[in-house]
Amino acid sequence: MNAARTTFRRELASYLFSPIGYVIGFLLYLFRGFEVDRLVRFANAAGLDREQFAAAYLQQPSSLILLILVPAILTMRCFAEERRTGSIEVLLTAPVRDSEIVLGKWAAAFVFFALLWLPAAVILVVAQGSGYLGLDLAVGPTVSGFVGLLLVGALLLAAGCLTSSLTDNTLLASLSSMLFALALIYGPTRLQGMTEVDPAVESDLAWWAWLQTKVLDPVVGQVHVVDHLQSWFFRGLLNTGHVVFYVAGTALLLFLTTRSLEARRWR
Amino acid sequence: MIQVEHLTKRFGEARAVDDVSFSVGRGEVVGFLGPNGAGKTTTIRVLTCFHPATDGVVRVAGYDVATHPLEVRRAIGYLPENVPLYLDMRVEEYLTYRADLKGVAKAHRRAAVAEAMERCGVTEVRRKMVGHVSRGYRQRVGLADALVARPPILILDEPTSGLDPNQRRRMKDLIRELAHEHTILFSSHILAEVADVASRILILHHGRLRADGSLDELLATAEGRTLCVTAALEPAALTELLDGLEGCGPAHVEAVDGSYARLRAPVEHGVDPRDEAFARLRARDVPLRELALERPTLESFFAQVTGAAMPGVSASEEER
Repeated sequence: MNAARTTFRRELASYLFSPIGYVIGFLLYLFRGFEVDRLVRFANAAGLDREQFAAAYLQQPSSLILLILVPAILTMRCFAEERRTGSIEVLLTAPVRDSEIVLGKWAAAFVFFALLWLPAAVILVVAQGSGYLGLDLAVGPTVSGFVGLLLVGALLLAAGCLTSSLTDNTLLASLSSMLFALALIYGPTRLQGMTEVDPAVESDLAWWAWLQTKVLDPVVGQVHVVDHLQSWFFRGLLNTGHVVFYVAGTALLLFLTTRSLEARRWR
Repeated sequence: MIQVEHLTKRFGEARAVDDVSFSVGRGEVVGFLGPNGAGKTTTIRVLTCFHPATDGVVRVAGYDVATHPLEVRRAIGYLPENVPLYLDMRVEEYLTYRADLKGVAKAHRRAAVAEAMERCGVTEVRRKMVGHVSRGYRQRVGLADALVARPPILILDEPTSGLDPNQRRRMKDLIRELAHEHTILFSSHILAEVADVASRILILHHGRLRADGSLDELLATAEGRTLCVTAALEPAALTELLDGLEGCGPAHVEAVDGSYARLRAPVEHGVDPRDEAFARLRARDVPLRELALERPTLESFFAQVTGAAMPGVSASEEER
């Protein structure tokens, strides 16, 4: 585990010393500020209660940016860059397990990712403290909402590690992991919408309806990220099944990343 | 320390290394030679567990690379060909990170890093970013990285490539110094360097091992021993006079300069025809300018075994 810790420290330091993280952090901070301002006015006008406000706050556009763009950007260099510069050779010929390197790199990306959420929480606390919100903050849903967003982020960061390990092109790595994020977040919503089959053609498409109700919907329901967030995490409900889903998914993707590093050796 | 038995490495259809066997004993300094694409780097990458072998058995420090890669990597300090380092770290910081990664205990880490920097002469740039130091320093930082965990075996892939002559000489001195404590396998393009530093030489060509032995052993088997005579005689007369010397092949006239002719004749191993040739020339009282036995050099031997037999052009020049 020593090597994972060493890798973690070195990677986190490289995130902290590179300007890109600060630029992203600053932009998101700015964006959050505008969002809060707009949201407070909307909440007052629409008469949102504190739970509704918390849920609305958590699903502002900058949350989506943090989920779709940021994990891809943070992880794109993980292995693709090492492969491009050749430093992967130095790394993989050190007496270290591949899995420890993967774990260290992912953990560093995750910690930095979590730090990027900090402004969102800080703004909320400050706005609440100064009485600007005009209502009491629903602490439970907010905290569990952030936990949910971090869990989704953990999964997407692991996916980013995987795509980064598959290529030596950082752009390709980041675009494919963005694609993965889009598919994970929007895919289930789209697929569920297809369940409603026009009754006129229903008999012709009996097999499709069967496939939908028996196979697709149950599966889609399990991986429905937006539903997990909106119906559970943002309402202050921590469902063990969902937590296990994200933790297991992250573990699986990290395992695949390790395998992909090993497979590269065989070529 | 290193045993390679029937190593074969294929990339798809291409055989990068083909049935190569050799071994390196403790304390040896082995030079690894071969034209570009001969399979040197591939062999080295198998030894360092970066690539697995397609076939054959490779043992390093008693461990099989296929089954005990971590033990093997622990025994090896490796300097890859283009010295890829993290450019965004300071020299000392990078070496400390590497020492930590290689499991050097925290209590010894600072001393280990300081010693490696001292040996490789990078102490004066230890606060600089790796990306900001010159190529020569970067090479030495890579070497310090290889040394920092004090591995018994050093594997250096082209440690002198891209260095200027002074840096090259310093690197050579350093390798010679390190040879007291480490078993070293290094590859190089510079034949003179290998001849100078290595106690044994391996020559690889088209993925096959073409030669394995000390410099003297290799040169003893090399063709190219030649008797050179420049004397004031008609070419035909000189050829006739020197005809039938023991161990000499047919002579040919290389050049004529005024009344002098220069003659060359191939000579067999273990024969020195100079005394006899001198006796014959003196008997006829022929004025003599040159009487020499040319021995093959590592360069000519290299050209022979790698098939680049262009007399006069050294193989190392061709490669660059």
